[in-house]
Amino acid sequence: MTETQVVTYGEALGQAYREEMLRDENVYLIGEDVGRWGSLYRSSKGLLAQFGPKRVKDAPLSEAAIAGCAVGSAAMGMRPIAEIMYIDFITIAMDQIVNHAAKWYQLSNGKVKMPIVFRTQGGAGRRNSSQHSQSLENWFVNIPGLVVVMPSSPYEIKGLLKSAVRDNNPVMFIEHKSLYFAKEEIPIEEYLIPLGVANVKREGSDVTVIATSWMVSFAINAAEQLQKEGISCEVIDPRTLWPLDKETILRSVEKTKHCVVVTEAPAEGGWSAEAAAVVFEGCFQLLKKPVTRVTGMRTGIPYGSVLEMQVIPNEEKIVKAIRNLLNK
Amino acid sequence: MNTVTQLTLYNKMVLLRHFDDMCRKLKMEDLIWSGYHPYTGQEAVAAGCCSQLKQDDCLLGNHRSHCHAVAKGTSVRAMLAEMMGRQSGVSGGLGGAMQFIHAENNLFCGSIVGSNIPLAAGMGMAFKDQQSHRVVMCMFGDGGSNTGSFHEGLNLAALWKLPVIYILENNQFAEAMPVAESVACSPLSKRARSYDLEEITVDGNDVVAVYNAVARAISKARAGEGTSLIEVLTYRIRGHYMGDPEETYRTKEEVDKWKEKDPIKLCRSQLLANGVAANELDEMESMIVKELHEDKSWVLQQPFATFEQAVRHVWIPLEQ
Ligand SMILES: Cc1ncc(C[n+]2csc(CCOP(=O)(O)OP(=O)(O)O)c2C)c(N)n1
Repeated sequence: MTETQVVTYGEALGQAYREEMLRDENVYLIGEDVGRWGSLYRSSKGLLAQFGPKRVKDAPLSEAAIAGCAVGSAAMGMRPIAEIMYIDFITIAMDQIVNHAAKWYQLSNGKVKMPIVFRTQGGAGRRNSSQHSQSLENWFVNIPGLVVVMPSSPYEIKGLLKSAVRDNNPVMFIEHKSLYFAKEEIPIEEYLIPLGVANVKREGSDVTVIATSWMVSFAINAAEQLQKEGISCEVIDPRTLWPLDKETILRSVEKTKHCVVVTEAPAEGGWSAEAAAVVFEGCFQLLKKPVTRVTGMRTGIPYGSVLEMQVIPNEEKIVKAIRNLLNK
Repeated sequence: MNTVTQLTLYNKMVLLRHFDDMCRKLKMEDLIWSGYHPYTGQEAVAAGCCSQLKQDDCLLGNHRSHCHAVAKGTSVRAMLAEMMGRQSGVSGGLGGAMQFIHAENNLFCGSIVGSNIPLAAGMGMAFKDQQSHRVVMCMFGDGGSNTGSFHEGLNLAALWKLPVIYILENNQFAEAMPVAESVACSPLSKRARSYDLEEITVDGNDVVAVYNAVARAISKARAGEGTSLIEVLTYRIRGHYMGDPEETYRTKEEVDKWKEKDPIKLCRSQLLANGVAANELDEMESMIVKELHEDKSWVLQQPFATFEQAVRHVWIPLEQ
């Protein structure tokens, strides 16, 4: 038996930082208030004292410069973890990420590597309205050259961040603001979770539910509720949106013959459509019904918890979609 | 400045102080839901700058703009209602405390720092091309001045001589980041030089100084003489948000030193020296407080924003 500890998502992230910074002195942190404050959710608390200001850099309010600095220094052999406080502000850093971080490896004939983790957080649930609650992950899935990770729990965030830091691609590491205080039992011993491998969170036989980030916990709750009605749901967390572990998804749908995709981001032009297409392309003949999606609505996230929870998926909406799909 | 004008500014500052205090309590009671950024200590800036605008002039704010809004003439009721998620709020209660638009009052506030600086240039360009005498005022902090948007927006406005008054509200911090550790030059008004604008820094706790500098910039803009950048030196007395770990970036002694330079106290002592009676000021203050409480009671009766509102106005359906 491995020894375990109970940690929050934020604490698990802090442990991953510390372990990776001790392991490799090229790893450094840059972002707004990542040092003095230890970042908004305190995940890098204590790192400035432990590693000093060269390794933990408090940057001015300059997202383009933070991202550009990450790209430039990565090209010269460093391994930055660049934090953009809210994914909504990544709009300002977009040029550096899309036109440079994602292009230089190919433009240099494979000589210049971009071992960067762009850490950020998105989503609703903290009542911050439309400019601080968006789900923008879809944009990055559509950029060749970027890896896109969405950790759904404390166990996941630690193992995935460690792998992301060691990977030589620019990795978009998109956390969820409503998960920072979620707790989970995780091993004390070091562990990594490989990128590109999905996690079957819950086994089942009637329907495959593919859910990302915060939506994983809603999907699990929905599955537990439906279990009481005799419906057996398999819940899959893809962990990385790209590269996508198609094999795990198809293996599951071949068994259940039904599939529901759940994302907080709106449906149109989104990764949820990509996931559905993968299922259609991979096992169309075996499907008993078309793939169904439960997604955020096509609107700005409104102010306050009552309204914001009404425009994104919840257990009830997932349960309803599954019952519909199975005619139950 | 004549005493009547100064008295008006004093009362405005008193209103903003009590309004901000009220908002803080509402945040503690969880009746304001989003991040709430207190304004204590900076009242001379909102009063001295924003209250000089007319309704058809534009004001662009940021995440700390509830007092800017009221100083420009948006009612306390409409602003409080917005922060408390009520339908009668300026954005119908969908925006909250950090982002809202009050179209009737030409007030535009957003929570993406720095973005308002180029937006202000765009509004100024429209006014210039429309040959109107409307002007634009844009409020942002020392943090905002570190964005690319600041440099791009200022260059454009200065180049095209747009009727924009940029107010750099230097309250010494961007969250936990002190100015001295985040900006390469000092004073921040030096940045004006690279856009061939006058370097202006004023004492932001002296409402008369703020008012006079801004009045001059507004007349310039209305007369078609172009853009101004005014650095207003002040201090954020409270945390960036309530309960932030202040010990990580400043000492209590520093805060106490600035408390002595309180803009309201300073203005009051000047008014008293000019012969205004203390009880006159106090009476005005109790009236202001009484009215604020009435406003709050009114807002508490207002209905919350609805789901129907939340999915409306996303776009304009195509015409057939
Ligand atoms: C583009 C962007 N980056 C970061 C933030 C997070 N943030 C909100 S307020 C703030 C500090 C802003 O400082 P300043 O512009 O000086 O205004 P002040 O808060 O002092 O009024 C930061 C970093 C943001 N809202 N937008």
